[in-house]
Amino acid sequence: MQSATPMKSVLLPLVAAVTLWGQSADQDLPGQHLLDESPAARSSNSSANEAPAADSSTDINVNSKYIVASIRFVGRSYQLSRAALEEMHRLVGARVNTDELNKLTTHIKNELRAHAVNFKLDRGDQPGSVDVLLEVDKVFDLSIPSFAWNSNEGWAGVGEARATLGSNVFTFDVISDRDSLIEQYAGIQAKFERPVPTTDRVFVAFEFDQYHENYAAATHLALASSESSSSLGAGLYRSRMNFEPSATFLLAKPLTLSVGVSFEELQPDLTAARAESANVVVNTLRYHQSWEDSDAIIQELDAGYNLRAATKLLSSSLGYTRHAASARYHYKNGFQSVEIKLALGLIYGNAPLFERFVLGDSNMLRGWNKYELDPLGGNRLAYSSVTYGYHIMRVFYDAGSVWDQGNPALFKQSVGVGVSSGFGRLQRGAFLLALAFPLRQGHVEPVFIAGMNF
Amino acid sequence: MTFWRTAIQSRRTRPALAALAASSLLAITVSNDDLFVRRSLNDIHVVAPRLHFLTGKTLQRLRDGATAPFDFQLTISAGSKNNVIARAVERFVVSYDVWQEKFAVIRMSDFHKWGMNASPNAAETWCVDNISLPALKLPPGQDLWARLEIRSVDQKGQSSPVSDSGISIISLVELFSRPPRPQQDHWTLETAAFHVDALKQQ
Repeated sequence: MQSATPMKSVLLPLVAAVTLWGQSADQDLPGQHLLDESPAARSSNSSANEAPAADSSTDINVNSKYIVASIRFVGRSYQLSRAALEEMHRLVGARVNTDELNKLTTHIKNELRAHAVNFKLDRGDQPGSVDVLLEVDKVFDLSIPSFAWNSNEGWAGVGEARATLGSNVFTFDVISDRDSLIEQYAGIQAKFERPVPTTDRVFVAFEFDQYHENYAAATHLALASSESSSSLGAGLYRSRMNFEPSATFLLAKPLTLSVGVSFEELQPDLTAARAESANVVVNTLRYHQSWEDSDAIIQELDAGYNLRAATKLLSSSLGYTRHAASARYHYKNGFQSVEIKLALGLIYGNAPLFERFVLGDSNMLRGWNKYELDPLGGNRLAYSSVTYGYHIMRVFYDAGSVWDQGNPALFKQSVGVGVSSGFGRLQRGAFLLALAFPLRQGHVEPVFIAGMNF
Repeated sequence: MTFWRTAIQSRRTRPALAALAASSLLAITVSNDDLFVRRSLNDIHVVAPRLHFLTGKTLQRLRDGATAPFDFQLTISAGSKNNVIARAVERFVVSYDVWQEKFAVIRMSDFHKWGMNASPNAAETWCVDNISLPALKLPPGQDLWARLEIRSVDQKGQSSPVSDSGISIISLVELFSRPPRPQQDHWTLETAAFHVDALKQQ
């Protein structure tokens, strides 16, 4: 896999240097010597003995003995041309070649118009293998990292501006989302992230969010019923503002822990009412691991647990504890793939609307209407999903329930069919077009879903 | 103040001051205490116990699995510091084994490899120790000065003085005769005056 040409360009000058500096090749002295600086002597020296031919198999990087197990971006995914992806694929499975990796980073740098792209070798899962991590230093970047359209709920999308200055990353998002929560919100999200100096295992972040909310008629109606809103903390609010400092620790290679606090202020719908605060301690434990048994078989496991606890210590006017756990397992063998998702959620106390669990959006229990399932969301959640893929075709089966403690859990199911840009190590940004059907007696009303990275 | 104003305005001292300013800009370290000469059989070697070029971002890039090439030039001057009578140049490439967590160095003139060591200081010492000049061709009884220059090599975006067809001696001389680029790390060290015949064989 290694190209001899770049090595040749490195070796030839050195071979010539030995000759030109007047050190004959069979001399054992280190260094390339010139003992007389006169032009005549230089000329004489330049015609000295030929140096030994360079061994083109010699790689100057000690890591060249290791096999590249994977190549991936750090932090986020990027859309690359087919040529760049093929170049990446070509290097996976081959020995580490610094020249080829430098070529690849230059290619990607030009394609993304980035300030710099650097590679980093990390120990692979198997002894003797390494993962290549690509770090893109983009001074300024505009993108739409995700969007979704659901014929039930409408649009959800994020527009992002990102500036990178050294290791400091500033992100500014404009968000409009009618899909993922019971509330329909739009607003901004500003975030600053950077690694802690002297260590590459700790990152700090500061986030500020400001959103304005709207509510569906079903939510207004449900809130009017005191029975269904007994576990709801705060009523409807017209805006919420959040400030969230956090730190992320890379505990071990696949395991990260994020700790932080979130100070969230809710401005009530009625201007005369008092503002509520949901000040919480946030902890997230995340595990992400992938295995590649052969060229054809790829497995990936992504699991996480998130705890948000509102406490009087942070002067929170609302008191609650929210537990959320999720897991995703993906298996791919050739053209076929299976993906299994599980999610469980539990809220104790009175959490505000944005914390409550939702099913029936573009991502979970697809095909159902979230307002029909629970117009105020629930404080209990159980959800699972299985997706089978062949080439770009996808069929999926979703099942789950969202309910309030003390009420019966009614399990709902849905099936769907669609096309996707596919799973892959290098293309994490999957685009999906799907028709989802809720499984219920009576009429069948399909829901159309289109989206990317949601 | 008057002395400096006079010195700056003087035609005779202006070039000297300019040279002084340039040399102070070019050299991160110029100290007689930082470079020593030793003789090993027929070779002159230098020792730079306080020199550390594997630091900061370079060290981080190495730990990330990249290579770090450095160009070394060792010169000996006789009579005056400007009269270079012998010169050796070498390129050393340092890398870091991400599995064994050890540094490795290769001398590019003969692909002589150095064994692994966990310490960057040991890698630095090996580089300095593996550039030398033949002692027998140095004039005895004269004041000599040794000078070691080290420059990092930018692997990307730098026009190389070499091509597939070979290299011109002028290009190599120019490599070190040109001032280093602003973003290029560089170090310069000099010895005090010494006599080759006074050096003890080690």
